[in-house]
Amino acid sequence: MRRTPLAWNNLIHDKRRLLIAIVGIAFAVMLMFQQRGFRLALFDSTVEIVQLMDCDVIVFNSNRFTISNELRFRRSLLDVAASHPQVAEVVPVYLENLAARLRSPGGRARPIRVILWDLNQRLFYDDAGEIERYRAGLSKPGTAIMDQLSREAYGFDLRGGAKFPQNGELSRKQLEVIGRFWLGRDFAHDGSLLMSVDNLERYFSYRAADPRTVVDYGVLRLAAGADHRQVAGELRDLLGSQVLVMTKQDFIDREINFWSRSTPIGIIFNIGMALGFVVGVIICYQILANDIAEHLKEFATLKAMGYPNRYFVGVVIRQAIYLSLLGFIPGLLLSWGLFWFNSSVTGLLMRLSGERILVILGLTLAMCIVSGLLALRKLIQADPAALF
Amino acid sequence: MITDSLDLDDLIARWNPSPSDLSINAVGVNHYYGEGETRKQVLFGNRLQVRRGEIVIMTGPSGSGKTTLLTLIGTLRKVQEGSLKVLGEELLGAAPTTVAQLRKQIGFIFQAHNLFESLTAYQNVSMATELLGIPPVEAKPRIVETLTRLGLGQRIHYKPRSLSGGQKQRVAVARGIIHRPQLILADEPTAALDAESGREVVTIFQEMARNDGCTIVIVTHDNRILDVADRIVSMVDGHIRTNVLIERNAIMCRILNEFDIFRSLTPQAISQVADKLSLRKYLAGEEIIRQGEMGDEFFVIGAGEVDIEIDGIRVNTLGKGAFFGEVSLIKHQPRNATVRAKSNVTCFILSKDDFQSVMDNSQTFEQELRNAIFARQ
Repeated sequence: MRRTPLAWNNLIHDKRRLLIAIVGIAFAVMLMFQQRGFRLALFDSTVEIVQLMDCDVIVFNSNRFTISNELRFRRSLLDVAASHPQVAEVVPVYLENLAARLRSPGGRARPIRVILWDLNQRLFYDDAGEIERYRAGLSKPGTAIMDQLSREAYGFDLRGGAKFPQNGELSRKQLEVIGRFWLGRDFAHDGSLLMSVDNLERYFSYRAADPRTVVDYGVLRLAAGADHRQVAGELRDLLGSQVLVMTKQDFIDREINFWSRSTPIGIIFNIGMALGFVVGVIICYQILANDIAEHLKEFATLKAMGYPNRYFVGVVIRQAIYLSLLGFIPGLLLSWGLFWFNSSVTGLLMRLSGERILVILGLTLAMCIVSGLLALRKLIQADPAALF
Repeated sequence: MITDSLDLDDLIARWNPSPSDLSINAVGVNHYYGEGETRKQVLFGNRLQVRRGEIVIMTGPSGSGKTTLLTLIGTLRKVQEGSLKVLGEELLGAAPTTVAQLRKQIGFIFQAHNLFESLTAYQNVSMATELLGIPPVEAKPRIVETLTRLGLGQRIHYKPRSLSGGQKQRVAVARGIIHRPQLILADEPTAALDAESGREVVTIFQEMARNDGCTIVIVTHDNRILDVADRIVSMVDGHIRTNVLIERNAIMCRILNEFDIFRSLTPQAISQVADKLSLRKYLAGEEIIRQGEMGDEFFVIGAGEVDIEIDGIRVNTLGKGAFFGEVSLIKHQPRNATVRAKSNVTCFILSKDDFQSVMDNSQTFEQELRNAIFARQ
């Protein structure tokens, strides 16, 4: 049986108020998206380098608490790891964050992340063949490719249509940037360079007498069908306490955990999101409570007629859901635009995946329903005896 | 003789309704507002019996408690003391499910229209049919017909904003009656209406009362509609001051005018007596009062004959228009004789208290009685 859509009709009756409600809720949605977006961008961007690696198990110094922390280990341990029957390939990875400084002609030297490995080995998933394209070029000493999302302040032109090579200085030595790739910045890094391990002595000779003997990461690929976690466990026993051995996903989770738990950054964004939620609750409550207050006599009349309290719960919850959906859609579109803008300004990875949209949608629904339940108290108290 | 043209048996049946025939049966209803020291009694021992299909008009100054009584009857307030049965359900301590069920059988018409501005006239009315689960195919023609009857045929799909005050009130009336309730409680339903639409509303009420046995209680000061009332209840300070069954009263007055003992009363006094008299029937041979018992009723024979027996010896026979039982009431003595129905007898009966109040208020009645007693001796 078709019922009179009281909840909907009451909601859209006052167009001006509805518009204010939608704007308010869209604002709260946007706030939540931004905060969550930044938070996730922080995590996404930070672990993006690992995500891109064709890696089953990763080995690193056991005191290294975050990706950029420069605690290294002896390469000989990786040779031990390679002896494990399930390990198919070991790729030693060399990383420089702090000492590596990039300067464009006439520019200022700025710290940049440099990742080096043996170009004969595959380190990254490279669907587009970007890196592959530069393999020959990179084998020439003193060459690198640069993340096109690196800050413009480096002074290199990395946009589409840019001409390469471009000359600069890395750690006071001549560097030729021969191309670009796509990675993205994060909170710790303004930009990244990829180069061959052969450049290690040229730029970072201070690492060790033989710089190649000290590595930052060992990226391991296992034999097909191997149980990653089990092999990681076995390798941990094999390699001793100097290093940690983790599956790729465990390593990513550990990194995200570090940022969200051990630094205030994750908490700040959580607070930001909670604020968005609270703002939304307040706006939504105002709208719903107003609607109830204005129609208290009519609702009391319905009560006198015999409408049970659960009917009113239904009306208010339905209004809350309508409001959250009406506010969510413009909020989402707005956030999309802002994400795109943010991403292009900061170089952070601001991704709106389906799952993340659903999370915010869930929060928006919760936000409106919470305020609906708060507003409902007024309605339950409506006394039909006061009508006569 | 008028009395002969009236069937007293029929009157007995109609004026002594069985409890199952009562839509409203309030006995000793007290009500209080506030608690502790600020507790204030607003209803005092209210007694009200309303038959199915009766139209009751309640009047009284504001603050007299009529609205409180109406909300109690409408289940909108909890009964605190006394017994209040509405549509056969006891409301004192009634379960919420009983209350919910009852409310669906009651039609409320409030002084304010209380229509949802966001809904059309049709939708506002259909809120009532939807609650009862009346299927739309059945509800739709009913709603259209009712609104049309109330002069809103052209405005069925208008929102309240586009309706005048009187039109809105008529939509509210339609909402209150559309589900064919067994009891309608209306608070000044015609106050906002012009004479014509006010009349249409009360005509609908009358039809519902007559055809569907719907009981209707109207609180109103609108004397244009007093004529539809079967009963007028007047409240003052929480007491039911007068409770007059109009038709019964009129018939009783006509009957009483036939009797010598009442003929000397003023019309007002006759009406007062008429209101308090009850009718009772005795079969031939039945003992009506017994010698030696304390009496608490006064009898006037409406039809039939009785024998007066003292110490088992028949001393007299009384017929229609004669009365007995007064001596014991006046002198506060036990009955001095036994009265037995000689044939089937119908009596008008006045209780001791009512008898006393009529005596107090009417010199002539007392005089008549004394003359009669004197003549009898």
